[in-house]
Amino acid sequence: MKYKIGIDLGSSYTKGALVDENNKLIEVRCVKTGYDFNRAANKIIDEFKVNYEIQDPVFTCGYGRDQLKIPFISNSEIIALSKAVFDLYKRKCSVVDIGGQDTKYIKINDQGQVDKFKMNRKCAAGTGSFIEEIAYRLDISTEEFNDFAKQATEEVKINSFCTVFAISEIIGMIKNGTSLPNIIIGIYNSIVSRCVEMSPIEDFLVLSGGVPPRHPMIVEQFKKIFHNLENPENSQFLAAYGCVLLNN
Amino acid sequence: MSNQNMQTREEIIKLQSVQALRQTMDDYFSRLKDATETGRKKIAWCTSVGPAELLYSMGFEVYFPENHGAMLGAGKNADKYIPTAVAHGYSPEICSYLTSDIGAFIQNETPLQKMGFKSVPKPDILVYNTNQCREVGDWFSFYAKHFNVPVLGIYTPLGINELSAVVIDNISKQLQALVPELEKIADQKFDIDKFREAVNLSHDGCVLWREVLETAMHKPAPINFFDAAIHMGPIVVMRGTQYAIDYYKILKDELENRIENHIGAVPQEKHRIYWEGMPLWFKLSSMAKLFAKLDSCIVASTYCNSWVFDDLDGNDPFNSSALAYSKLFIVRSADAKQEVLEQLMSDFSVDGIIYHEAKTCPRNSNNCFGMQSRANSNNKIPYLELNGDLNDPRCYSEEQSVIAIETFIQQLAGN
Repeated sequence: MKYKIGIDLGSSYTKGALVDENNKLIEVRCVKTGYDFNRAANKIIDEFKVNYEIQDPVFTCGYGRDQLKIPFISNSEIIALSKAVFDLYKRKCSVVDIGGQDTKYIKINDQGQVDKFKMNRKCAAGTGSFIEEIAYRLDISTEEFNDFAKQATEEVKINSFCTVFAISEIIGMIKNGTSLPNIIIGIYNSIVSRCVEMSPIEDFLVLSGGVPPRHPMIVEQFKKIFHNLENPENSQFLAAYGCVLLNN
Repeated sequence: MSNQNMQTREEIIKLQSVQALRQTMDDYFSRLKDATETGRKKIAWCTSVGPAELLYSMGFEVYFPENHGAMLGAGKNADKYIPTAVAHGYSPEICSYLTSDIGAFIQNETPLQKMGFKSVPKPDILVYNTNQCREVGDWFSFYAKHFNVPVLGIYTPLGINELSAVVIDNISKQLQALVPELEKIADQKFDIDKFREAVNLSHDGCVLWREVLETAMHKPAPINFFDAAIHMGPIVVMRGTQYAIDYYKILKDELENRIENHIGAVPQEKHRIYWEGMPLWFKLSSMAKLFAKLDSCIVASTYCNSWVFDDLDGNDPFNSSALAYSKLFIVRSADAKQEVLEQLMSDFSVDGIIYHEAKTCPRNSNNCFGMQSRANSNNKIPYLELNGDLNDPRCYSEEQSVIAIETFIQQLAGN
């Protein structure tokens, strides 16, 4: 059996989805994108090739979608993500995708079509980069964020849109004795706020992208506002999977 | 898209009129250069929707800093100059026409130097109308102080809903009040007949410009927004002269010929888009190629349609000028704007609308004020919001915008 590969070449990470002839998601892989889209994609393909026979062309989306030297068919990551989400839930819904550099809002209708979408304004607020920048300044790893957030006793507010100004604001909090867990939950809430302001969300909400699974407390903060919400398994790989589904 | 079996795409057929356009604009700048070098004619600076007819009728050569700002943007040089203006105290968040223009002036650079100018033409007087924005007053005042010359302003109320007699009378009186001040500088006395003639020429030029734009109602549209943004030069800087009329007759003939021969601005027009807001001057060419590649034609725009002042009437030159310039889209109320937008979207049979939110021009970015949601609930036409700017490329993310545009076109195609 030959397997199909969908690759989402994102700004921070490149995600691969291996799909069988029945369109079942078999395996996923994720590597840092770095500076070479081809190297990132090839690394994923080579890993899949160890155990599977791969079909040409591969299906791509994301910033590096049209950069590959191997045969490919590129797609819009928003359309691909919507396809995968609708395939999963088969109902109209809103999607908030929180990635390394982009946050996207998508409204999917009951036919699985995109009715409306919006991308974040051109700054890091509300994206994974926001967390990375702040982690660097606080000299803690992003992996530690979630555990700190669990220990929060108070939800402080971080107002600044700008990452640099947010860091200044955090320095002020540190000076005032605000605890690290409370600051971290403030950072998470700041991301939630940036997402919420993208569009009114009226129905079932699906959270996707790489940030929610790495920071489950963000999902919990979302749940305080949206009760009808899911963060599906492999949410980071949905766009890659959707690329394959789109090209059936 | 695929790197396999690449389709051979038809090439964009360029408008032949561009040669005549170039000549018309070169001649305009030659007249300004001659006035600068010989002093044979006085020079007035004017905002792009200022009283150009009055100035031309009184013998001035008229220079438009906004046109210069657009030249800096289209030449991809604005980001070289904006920081200089910012260093001199202008915020990077205000009009990037202003900051790039003043920055370039401080650096003593201008694209006009390629045409033999030493600098921008020195003004004898500056005249602005705040119908576009308040920044024009600050902008012109900078130069008035620098050159120690008078600056005159017409103050138009904002958010005009009903074009009432009170509003029109007020603007008309302000226009009339300019006359004695202009006479102090001009080489000639005000002559009502010359003014009537200029107003009539302006009217005729505007009608032709409207007819040029209306050719895009045809499918496929023979002209798109990116062409129109370039070809609007004469209606901006030569309104009230025969030169603009002569040029738009040439352009209109070519477009009608295209219609007869089924030649579209986009070779395979499948989607028809409306563009709300300012052009991204520094991306005009690449945007044109991107939309053509996506078989999508931007058939109408608020920006280009804003230069249709067909209420001008030489029989009543002051009042009709007041009416025409207060009817300008940007100075109208949200309701009046929405009515205009929806009418244009209907007239041009558009499938989608792109709202360009220009970072430094919120007044020209109607999605900042909820227009997109209101219009969509009325006509259900899908829309995309694009973040960018008229001149400042630092406010624009190319990769993100291309993804958004490609996705939007797929959305229009039913995913």
